[in-house]
Amino acid sequence: MFEALVDYTILGLSAATAPNSLFYCFIGVTLGTFVGVIPGIGALATISMLIPITFHLEPLEALVMLAGIYYGTAYGGSIASILLRLPGTGSSAVTCIDGYPMAQQGRAGIALFMTAIASFVGASIGIIIMMVFSPLFVEIGLSFHSPEYFSLMVMGLVAASSITSDSQIKGIAMVVLGIFLGIVGTDINTGTSRYTFGITELTEGFTMSAIAMGSFGVAEVISSLRKFKGGTLTSKSIGLRSMVPTRDDVRRSWLPILRGSSTGSFVGALPGAGATIASFMSYAIERKVARDPSRFGKGAIEGIVAPEAANNAADQTAFIPTLTLGIPGSVTMALMLGVLMIHGITPGPSMMANHPDLFWGVVMSFWIGNIMLLILNVPLIGIWVRVLMIPYHVLYPAILMFACIGVYSIHQTTFDVITVIAFGLLGYFMRLIRFPVAPLLLGFVLGPMVEEYFRRALIISAGDVSIFFERPVSLMFLLITAALLLWSAWQSVRQSFQRKVVEAPLPGNEAAGARDGEAAQSR
Amino acid sequence: MSNRDYGDMFGGGALVAIGAFIAYYAVTTLSLGTVSRMGPGMFPAALGVILAVLGAVILIPALFREGEALKVEPRSLISVTTAMLAFVLLVEPFGLVPAIVVLTLIATCADGKLGWLGSAILAVVLAGGAVLIFQVGLDLQLPTLNWPW
Repeated sequence: MFEALVDYTILGLSAATAPNSLFYCFIGVTLGTFVGVIPGIGALATISMLIPITFHLEPLEALVMLAGIYYGTAYGGSIASILLRLPGTGSSAVTCIDGYPMAQQGRAGIALFMTAIASFVGASIGIIIMMVFSPLFVEIGLSFHSPEYFSLMVMGLVAASSITSDSQIKGIAMVVLGIFLGIVGTDINTGTSRYTFGITELTEGFTMSAIAMGSFGVAEVISSLRKFKGGTLTSKSIGLRSMVPTRDDVRRSWLPILRGSSTGSFVGALPGAGATIASFMSYAIERKVARDPSRFGKGAIEGIVAPEAANNAADQTAFIPTLTLGIPGSVTMALMLGVLMIHGITPGPSMMANHPDLFWGVVMSFWIGNIMLLILNVPLIGIWVRVLMIPYHVLYPAILMFACIGVYSIHQTTFDVITVIAFGLLGYFMRLIRFPVAPLLLGFVLGPMVEEYFRRALIISAGDVSIFFERPVSLMFLLITAALLLWSAWQSVRQSFQRKVVEAPLPGNEAAGARDGEAAQSR
Repeated sequence: MSNRDYGDMFGGGALVAIGAFIAYYAVTTLSLGTVSRMGPGMFPAALGVILAVLGAVILIPALFREGEALKVEPRSLISVTTAMLAFVLLVEPFGLVPAIVVLTLIATCADGKLGWLGSAILAVVLAGGAVLIFQVGLDLQLPTLNWPW
C-alpha cells in the first residue's frame, strides 16, 4: 500500500506541477486570500462566480483553482479577524476573540505570523490524512449500491441542514425545496418535461451557477451593502521584524496547533460539520485544557493558533467524502462536485480508478497551494493589509458585474441572468425571514442523484421499500439520520419554549453580524 | 401593534403553498407509475407532500408567537435588481460595454458613497476589465458594442 502511495504521489505531482496547473493554483490561492481578507464576500460566492470561467478549463485546472480559493480564504480570513476584528470568513470568526487583543497590544505581526504557520501545519496534517485515508474510503465506497448511496445522501443532507442552521426544521425544509428545484427539467428516465411550464431554457433544468450566484452572491450584496462601516485598522503596516515570535510564543503554540489540527481533520471529514465548527470546537478545547483559562479573550496565542490550524485541516479533509464517495459535506463541496459533473466526470469511488491523475493531481496541488499561501501570507503580508482598506462600495458593483457576465457567458441567454436576479431576491428574503440558504443549494446539487438512486434501488427490489432497511450499511445510515432528526425535533421543541435566548456574544460589530448569516452558509 | 413572528408565518405559509402546488402538478400532469417502476411524477409528488407538511410545522407555532420586526433595505434591493435588469435588457441589443456601464451606474446609487464622477470612473474601469478578462483572456464570443439601429 505504501508503494502505491508513492506511485500516486509521483503521478499527482507531475499533474500538479504542469505550468497550467501551477498558474491556476496560484490564481486560486491569491483570489482566495483576497476574498478571505475582505469581509462581505466569502469563498462560496467567489466560487459560484468563477464556475462559468472553469468551463473553459481542463477539469484538473478548474478543480485546482476552485479548491485554492476555498482553502485560501481560511488564510486570508484570519488577517481581517486580527487587524479589524471583523471575521473575513465564518471559520475565522473565533480568531477575533484573541487575535484582536493581540493586535491592540502591538503583537499583530506575531499573531499574523503564528496563524500563517498554524494554518500551514493544520493544512499539511489534513492533506496527509487525506492521502492515507482516501484509498480506504474508496474501497468502502466501491461496495455501496443504490440503496446505500440513497441512505448516505439522505444522511448527509439531513446532517448538513440540521447541524449548521439555527432552526433544523427550516434547514430540512430548504433541502427538500432544493431537491425539487434540482429535478426541474427533463426527467432522464422517461424524457418527460417536469415543471418547465413551456419555458425552453428550463428543459435542461436551472443552471447551477445561476442559482448559486443569485442566492449567495447577489443576496449577500443586497443584505450587506449598507451595513458596512469598515473597522479601524490597529496597525497600517506590518514589518517582517515585528512578526518574529518570542520563544514563549512558540513554546505555548505547538501543542495547541497539533490539537487543533487533529480536531479539524476529524470534524472536516464529517458531513455537515466543517471548518467553522472545527474552529469553534478547538477554541473550546484549548480553553478547557489551559492551566489559566482567564488569559483567553485577552490575547492568548493558543486561542488563535488552535482554531486556525483546525479550520485549515478541516478544509482539506472536507475533500475526502466529496472526492472519494461523491457525497459533499457542504455547499462549497457540492459546487465542486457540480463542476466535475459539468466536465462529464462522475464523482464517487470510481473516479479514483478512472481518473487517478485528476484525484492525485488535486491532492498534490494542495501542497503547492499551501506553500504559495505561506509565501503570500508571511513575506507579502503588507499587500493584504492594504487590501483591507479597499472600500466595499467599489467592490459590490464589480461583484454584480461578474455575476451578470459570468452567468450570461455560459449559455449566452439572458434567462440565466434573470434566474440570478430571481434567486438573488429569494435569497435576500430568505435571509430576512431567517431561512437558511445553504441547504437549498445542497439539495439542488444532490437532488437529481437522490432521485436516481431512489428509483434504481426500488427497481432492484421490485418496489419493496424494505430494501433500505434490510441492507445493514444502508440501515446504519438511516438510523443515524433518524437519530439526527430526533435530536433536531428535540431542539426545536426546546427552542419554542425558550424563544428569547440571549445570543452568544460573537466578536465584531454590526458588519460581523451581517456576516453571521454567511458564516452559517459557507460551511 | 404587537409583533407576530411574520417571518416564520410567511415562510411556512409559502412552503405549504409551494408543496401543495408541486404535489398537485405531479398528480394531475405527470404520470406517477408504480413503486417498482416509478413514473416522473412519483418523486416530486412525495417531495411536495413532505414540503407542505414541513411548512405547516413551521407555520402553525409561528401563529402563536411573537417575533422580531422585519427590516427590509428597499434602496439596496431596488437598485441592485434594477441594475441587473438593465444588464439583461441591454446586453443583447447594445453589447457588453454599455450594459456594464449602465449596471455600474445604477448599482452605485444603492449607497451613494461614490459621487457621479467616481461612479463614472468605476463604470469605465469595470467595462474595460470585463472586456480584458472575458474577451481577451477567455476568448468568449460576446458582442462588445452593438448599434441596433
